[in-house]
Amino acid sequence: MKKKVIVACGGAVATSTIAANKILELCREYDIDVDICQIRISEIEFHLDGTSLIVTTTKVKKDYGVPYVSGISFISGIGEEQTREAILAILKV
Amino acid sequence: MLWEELKESLIFLNGEEKCEKDILKKMGGALICEGYAKDTYVQALLLREKRFPTGLDINGIGVAIPHTDPRHVKKEGVALAILKKPVTFRHMEDEGVRVSVRLIFMLAVLNPEAHLNHLQCVLNIIQDTEVLVQLLTAGGQKDIIQIIKTKEETL
Repeated sequence: MKKKVIVACGGAVATSTIAANKILELCREYDIDVDICQIRISEIEFHLDGTSLIVTTTKVKKDYGVPYVSGISFISGIGEEQTREAILAILKV
Repeated sequence: MLWEELKESLIFLNGEEKCEKDILKKMGGALICEGYAKDTYVQALLLREKRFPTGLDINGIGVAIPHTDPRHVKKEGVALAILKKPVTFRHMEDEGVRVSVRLIFMLAVLNPEAHLNHLQCVLNIIQDTEVLVQLLTAGGQKDIIQIIKTKEETL
C-alpha cells in the first residue's frame, strides 16, 4: 500500500523540497511506494488523514499522533544516515 | 548552475554588522537592487526568519540560509556574506537554540521544484566543513567564486 508522508517546513518552499527529494530517493532505493505531501507546518493538521510519517525541518512542538522524524540532517548533512534509518524503520513496516 | 549567478556584487566580505536584522537588510537590499527580488523582499525575509529561523551549526561553524516566499522574488539568485564577527541567529530545528553565524547564504527562490539543483548547490557547500573553512579565510570575491567552483567540479 502507498505510504503517505507529510514533509513540511515554514513556507513549503526551500528546505521541505530538499527533504522531500531525499525521502523520495530513499524510498525508490528501498522500493517503498510513497506519496509525498509537501506543505507548510501550519497546514499539517489539515492533512493528517492516512499519514504514516511526518518529517519537518523545523521542530514541531505539537504531537499529531503520527510517527515523526526530524529532517534537519537533510539540510545540515550531519546525521543523515540516522535520519534515513529512522524513516525506513517507520515506512518499511 | 546557481553559482554562475553569483555575482561579485552579491558577495559581502568583512562585514561588521552587529545583528541578524542588519545583515539581512544589507543582503536583501542588494538582491532587490540587482533585480532578483521585489521591494517587499526584505520585510518578508525578516518576518520569515523571525517565525522560521534558518541558523545551522555545521561542526561548530555557524551558517544561516535565510529565504522567503517566492511571491517576493523576481528571479532565482543567491547572495553570500562572510562576517568578521559572528551575529546571533536562531537555530532552524529549535528556535530556542542560538547559533553564532559568520556565513550567510541568502536564497531568492522562485520555483523550488524546478530549481531543486539550485538549492542542492547551496547545500553541497554548506555540508562541506572544509569548504566552509576555506570560505571563512578567503581573501576576496574572486577567491570565493573559485572555492565554490572548485567544490562543484568535484561533485
